[in-house]
Amino acid sequence: MKLQRIIALAWKEWREIVRDRLFFSLAFIVPTMLMLLFGFGLTLDVENLPFAVVDHDRSAASRDYTYRFISSRYFDFKGQASDERQLDTLLADNRIRLALVIPPRFGERLARGEAAPVQVLIDGTFPMRAQTTQGYVAAINSAVSLDNMARALSAGRGVPLVEAQARVQPVKLEVRYLYNQSVKSIWSLAPKLIMLIMMLSPPFLTALGVVREKESGSIFNIYSSTVSPGEFLIGKLAPYVAISFTNGLILWALAVGLYGTPFKGDPAFFALALLLYVVCTTGLGLVISMLVQTQVAAMIVASIVSIIPAVLYSGMLLPLSSLAPGASAIAHALPPMYFTNIVVGSFLKGVGWQALWADMLVLAAYASSLFGLGYLLFSKRPSS
Amino acid sequence: MNAFFSGAGLRRLRVMTHKELLQLFRDVALMVFFLYAFTGDIYIAASGVSMQLKNAAIATLDGDHSLASRELASRFQPPYFQAAGSAGTPQQAIRHLDDGDVMAVLDIPPRFGERLARGEQVAVQLQVDTSNSVLGFLASSYGAQIVGRYGLEVAALREGLGSGGISGPVIQADTRIWYNPNQNDAWFMGISELLTVITLFAILLPAAAMVREKERGTIEQLMVTPLTAFQILFPKVIAMTLVILAGTAIALFGVLGPGFDLPMRGSLVLFFLITALYVFTTAGLGLLAATVARNLAQVGMLTVVILMPMLLLSGAWTPIEAMPEWMRILAWISPLHYFLDAAYGILLKGTGMDLLWDSVLAMGLLGVVVFGAGMRRFGRQFG
Repeated sequence: MKLQRIIALAWKEWREIVRDRLFFSLAFIVPTMLMLLFGFGLTLDVENLPFAVVDHDRSAASRDYTYRFISSRYFDFKGQASDERQLDTLLADNRIRLALVIPPRFGERLARGEAAPVQVLIDGTFPMRAQTTQGYVAAINSAVSLDNMARALSAGRGVPLVEAQARVQPVKLEVRYLYNQSVKSIWSLAPKLIMLIMMLSPPFLTALGVVREKESGSIFNIYSSTVSPGEFLIGKLAPYVAISFTNGLILWALAVGLYGTPFKGDPAFFALALLLYVVCTTGLGLVISMLVQTQVAAMIVASIVSIIPAVLYSGMLLPLSSLAPGASAIAHALPPMYFTNIVVGSFLKGVGWQALWADMLVLAAYASSLFGLGYLLFSKRPSS
Repeated sequence: MNAFFSGAGLRRLRVMTHKELLQLFRDVALMVFFLYAFTGDIYIAASGVSMQLKNAAIATLDGDHSLASRELASRFQPPYFQAAGSAGTPQQAIRHLDDGDVMAVLDIPPRFGERLARGEQVAVQLQVDTSNSVLGFLASSYGAQIVGRYGLEVAALREGLGSGGISGPVIQADTRIWYNPNQNDAWFMGISELLTVITLFAILLPAAAMVREKERGTIEQLMVTPLTAFQILFPKVIAMTLVILAGTAIALFGVLGPGFDLPMRGSLVLFFLITALYVFTTAGLGLLAATVARNLAQVGMLTVVILMPMLLLSGAWTPIEAMPEWMRILAWISPLHYFLDAAYGILLKGTGMDLLWDSVLAMGLLGVVVFGAGMRRFGRQFG
């Protein structure tokens, strides 16, 4: 293995990338664009949920109750509906996601100190949204219930309202949100976006770069040269690793500078992990490019192999603890999950080697085995 | 364009479509992954993924060890929570949270039971790991419901507002979740994945087919034939649409139907018609990208530039109501936005054309505009 040959190959590849101006600029634009787009748009918050109300009671109490929902920032009031039939249409047409039906004698029952039933209809097509909605509704309902109880107690026993409020709520829950104290999605999202985007872009770049030589036939120059497979692979991949690593640093800067995500960990540790991860994802592109013959196939395979695991099995959108055994096995077999642990640890928790050495080790093992696989698959004497 | 309506025009379209199909099927690796995308990939996405809080490990820091504190701790039960026993010391609790062993720690202060019995208001603390904000929210929301209910019961008993259970002027919500009453994540994830895969192929296949001709120079051969620009471009779209519709049928009847009992409440004919329209529209986007790109590598990157915003803005993965206003306006020019409404509408809600006509119309208009623009650019480049 000669360093000189590797450098020559890397230089040739670099020149080729830079000459294709559109490709070169897209190589940098794509990750940044995705970071901006996802950062602003990929929010899992459930807010501004359109809802409608059917108020059969039309009393002061029912109006008060409706107003609790109208004034919440989680809900977006779309107006009163005349009857349940209209709610059917509104829900089916995606115009509303939540509907409240307040039956007759709602106010009367409350005034008499009885429990008042209310019907809540939720559009369940998107279970995550439905569950969160249910949580908001439950919170508003229990606040209303507590207020009513306190007022009833205060009126019935003649105790001051403040004391009555304390007495109907003997246990108070204080929730402390750790690692991300404002539950702002962007803080928990931005670090994971680095993981996601660095999973999407490098395999694509690399697979295209290597298969391009195969499809155009220029790879036969390599086959007939004195370059060894190892030299070819390293020289070929070095520019892609460099581009992707730079992109990773840009994304890090965006996460900290633009989104204001706190970075509590060790920068050197993080940079090393980022480099290893980029080598992993670039290696993934390498293996893909060994297996397919055309660039179209390379693109399809790269997107399916990278997007799905990165989005679904990395703990980004979905909790790993709720994965089924099969999916959990896939998650453990791919690099994104380990890098997610590292980014979350480095950014939000401020932990380093001590807590994350195992994840780092897995990434290193992964990177070397992908290169080993690429080496085995690369033959200078293709069968066809 | 007149030739299109004559017999010769139709025959040319047929022959060209046949050529595109042949070319597609000869790429074995591509076809293998095509099949995988419409079967295995969708199966995995539908079966493996759940966005719900299930059995979140919760440890207890019980500073009281009374009947009341044990009662409260024992209420954190499956399906949402799973008791992980005592957390030991506060330092150990933090370590468990750091390592991700537990998701939440319930901290009950000393003399909790005693103070409750004396009628004081006692605070308990729930520490929640919100590294994943959705789960963090759900955990604190369920935690609040559990503690709130416990508190109301204690209060009701103490104040004599009712014996056993709660009565009084409370709101009794009867919550019904429509279209997916059991909150089966597989339905949502499966359809979402299917639409993602359709979108990916609908953009990439025609664009790549087009640019490959440019890159290899075979486009010049086509240009010297009597074929019009339309007759060159449209067969690519027809061929890819046919293949994608076949894939969709396999996914629906081979995976989602038998594997996950997807209800398919509406008209399937309508679903396939709308899918065809969607593929046509999206293919137009791909062709437009192909007129910009000079080689396949550029097409690949441009595809990412088109695909990712589409997937994101349209609500395939996340609820779009919470997105900033300007992004929601952008969603209007994404054909996937309309296709999502139509697909979930037909399959889960049983919606028909009476409600979907506006989505279909918008999708059709977008298709005509995009396809027209692609044709114009193509015509100018090679006319």
